[in-house]
Amino acid sequence: MVKSFERVMWVLAVLALVSGITACQPAQKQEGIVIVIAEDPPSFNPTITDAGYDALVMELVMLGLSDVDADGNVFPELATELPTQANGGVLLDEEAGTMSVTWKMRTDVKWQDGKPVTADDVVFTYEAIANPETGAWIAGLDHIESVEKVDDYTVKVNYNAIYPGYLTQFGGEQVAIWPAHYCDATQGFVSWNCNRQPLSNGPYVLKEWVNGDHMTFVRNENYYVAGKPSIDVITVKIVPDESVRKTMLINGDADLDMWTTEPVIADLQDKPNVKVSISPNNRWVFRLFFNLAAKGTTDPVATPHPILSDVRVRRAIRMAIDVDKIGQEFFLGYAKPVWTEFFREPYVCNIPRPKYDPTAAAALLEEVGWKDTDGDGMRECQGCGTAEDGYKMEMEFITYSGFGEPLLLTQQLIAEMLGQIGIKLNLSMVESSVLWAASTDGGIEQSGNFDMAIWDDGYGGVDPTDYLWSYYYSEAATPDYGYNYGRWMNEKFDALMDEAYTLDEARRKEVFCEMAQILEEELPEALLFTAVNADAHSARLQGVQSSTNDLVTWNAADWTLAK
Amino acid sequence: MTTYIARRLLQTVGLLFLLSILLFALVNVSPGGPLAGHGQSRHISPEKIELLKRQFGLDKPLPTQYLVWLIGNDWMRVDLDGDGVPESYGTRKGILRGDLGFSFRTRQPVLVEISQRLPNTIYLMTITMLLAVLIAIPIGIISAIKQYSAFDITVTTFSFAGQAIPEFWLGLILILIFYAWLRNPFTGEPLLPSGGMTTTGSVGFHLGDRVVHLILPVLTGALGWIAWYSRFLRSSMLDVIHKDYLRTARAKGLPQKTVLYKHALRNALIPLITLLALDLPYIFSGAIFVEILFSWPGMGRLYYQAALNRDYPILMAVLIIGAAFIILSNLLADILYAYLDPRVRYD
Repeated sequence: MVKSFERVMWVLAVLALVSGITACQPAQKQEGIVIVIAEDPPSFNPTITDAGYDALVMELVMLGLSDVDADGNVFPELATELPTQANGGVLLDEEAGTMSVTWKMRTDVKWQDGKPVTADDVVFTYEAIANPETGAWIAGLDHIESVEKVDDYTVKVNYNAIYPGYLTQFGGEQVAIWPAHYCDATQGFVSWNCNRQPLSNGPYVLKEWVNGDHMTFVRNENYYVAGKPSIDVITVKIVPDESVRKTMLINGDADLDMWTTEPVIADLQDKPNVKVSISPNNRWVFRLFFNLAAKGTTDPVATPHPILSDVRVRRAIRMAIDVDKIGQEFFLGYAKPVWTEFFREPYVCNIPRPKYDPTAAAALLEEVGWKDTDGDGMRECQGCGTAEDGYKMEMEFITYSGFGEPLLLTQQLIAEMLGQIGIKLNLSMVESSVLWAASTDGGIEQSGNFDMAIWDDGYGGVDPTDYLWSYYYSEAATPDYGYNYGRWMNEKFDALMDEAYTLDEARRKEVFCEMAQILEEELPEALLFTAVNADAHSARLQGVQSSTNDLVTWNAADWTLAK
Repeated sequence: MTTYIARRLLQTVGLLFLLSILLFALVNVSPGGPLAGHGQSRHISPEKIELLKRQFGLDKPLPTQYLVWLIGNDWMRVDLDGDGVPESYGTRKGILRGDLGFSFRTRQPVLVEISQRLPNTIYLMTITMLLAVLIAIPIGIISAIKQYSAFDITVTTFSFAGQAIPEFWLGLILILIFYAWLRNPFTGEPLLPSGGMTTTGSVGFHLGDRVVHLILPVLTGALGWIAWYSRFLRSSMLDVIHKDYLRTARAKGLPQKTVLYKHALRNALIPLITLLALDLPYIFSGAIFVEILFSWPGMGRLYYQAALNRDYPILMAVLIIGAAFIILSNLLADILYAYLDPRVRYD
């Protein structure tokens, strides 16, 4: 008895000691807010890396000519208005097939050192990016002929083509305008010091960056919008573990968790001090990629895929997948069914939702000539036309590990569903740096070394043109030349694609919906559903709006802190 | 002995050279590559891939890449602008002249990346190992002397648990208990912080702040080692205790304490010290799970991220320095062994 009493006293003494030490700590509560993210941003320059974390901190300190809001509307940032044909900002030369865009810039935006942001900075930024040695790549860079300064606050971009994506080419989440008087051009765009020690013209100024630990941002007193931002200090903490980030939110030690996943959202639901902002638009569509060329080859004509080269098989596969069930079970009801690339504004096409019907799927496979005659539960080719008779309906089904459990469970369930109709899928999983590597590095998709794959993608911003080109254009089927991994080629689609490079919005809408029709008939990919794009934040932090078009910090200047 | 050490050091240089070729090949031929999308990008556009290949030097054949890594490329012309004509001299100096290259991800010199992380890892790992040894030695001695006692059985049970419990699980449970559940009765704050090295925003050095941030990561990291070292010492102690010279020592009337500490422990510690020397490289490489769970900005996380991103220069630097540490620790273990055990001779 005495001994156990002693033990209890010991435990109490140790606890008291620990409590005493914690109490001696410097003031715990910080001013401002804390954002927790999983990894260090590579730099403040998302143009080089596009990791997301880079854009998150870039949005705090740097501005572009334009940016995109959560609903997908482009708005001017350093510009006074968006150049269009109507306001004379865009001049077309229909005959030559070229155009020029004139940007008028605000005169009241200053760098943190007090110098104004001018047309020189835009020209400087373009030249740094376009430098063939030390530059980077932005969408449509090869369409730009030159960027010239008209006067201190007017800059003109000359294009050698009609480029519909011009509005966000020097803005959005990818590109910032860099200070000509501060960044050292001789160090080169990709490695100059200002990528890590940026000069701010945005709402915040970087005060401190302790590698791997945290970054501190303070309010930019020179910010051009009077009275903004209202929060004085933003600390970005690097907390790699997801469950630790969640606990910090619940404990009130973090105010914002970037890219919150479905399981965490579910855990946060009943916490009164935490809210979850969900993007009104979705971008990332989970989809099946069908390899139309035999596994390990990239020519769908010379070596067609023994199973997937028949469009009816692809249709049967899509019919046999219960998208709603996947959404409910693994994405906790946050997944939204999607079946066409054109599901969000401004390009929405009326394609009826395909129905889930495993019986019809099985019947279709029978009709094509895939039958299970030996009773092993797996179909064999019996006059299917794409393979020799007796060829088994067995394929590899691959995905990547980076997304986490919901995707792996989805992969398993799809294999089960297709197993029900007699298609056997062997599951495999690789890292993203293996799945999407260049073909010269043995990249699985680029070298066509798969049968079926599932992962998520979709276009950022509001212009799908480049995205569609990379995924569905014939030329993009060449390894390392695009992302047409299924090697689907369609002349009609190619012609429409060429036509899409126009500024005629009405025609573009028509073109895209004609494309939607072709994609629906041909089914080079089977789009299934979108995952949620969400950021969890403390209830006291107000004004947070999650967006698929940008990182959550896109409107950080508007955030306020409730008392 | 001196000739022995000199010979071993020479061998080390040769060994490192061969290892560097092997590691370079392994890192490069492992599936995947640095030119894949990460984070929110699934892909890199073909134009950007061309550009990056030139900037990273990946457009050259592997042997040339190795040569550049080893001795630099400031003596040869390289084609940087992609017109097919090599126009200017490279800027790399090569590892032999102290240039470890730059990180593909951050474009920072590898040396800078490592120097930002290494002190944090040495700090955490030294304390973890010291604590592990300080706790493990008395436990090992007592369990050996009082073999099959209640203490021994309890400690044995805990040791097996300590070796079996994965760090990431233990760390999460500790965070749950000390950060999510328990509160400091004086301030109402969580009893211990969830991670990091100091309280963010605090200025200057606060010993108390440092200590509270160390408790959980050190505990998580040390448990496995405590179990391992104490078990090791226990069995080595038991070996010695039953030796004839100990019986002689007791028979000639020496006090039990002298017998145990002067004769038994000294001999029992020799293998443990070898083991410790062999574990020294951890002080450089860090503990990945502990660093991830407790948001500790150390080498383990740097390496892990570099591996995911196929950041070859960082991987190569960490691997080759790690290899050097392992070879040197082995040498140290051999030297210590000869020093502690006069029967061992290397001539």
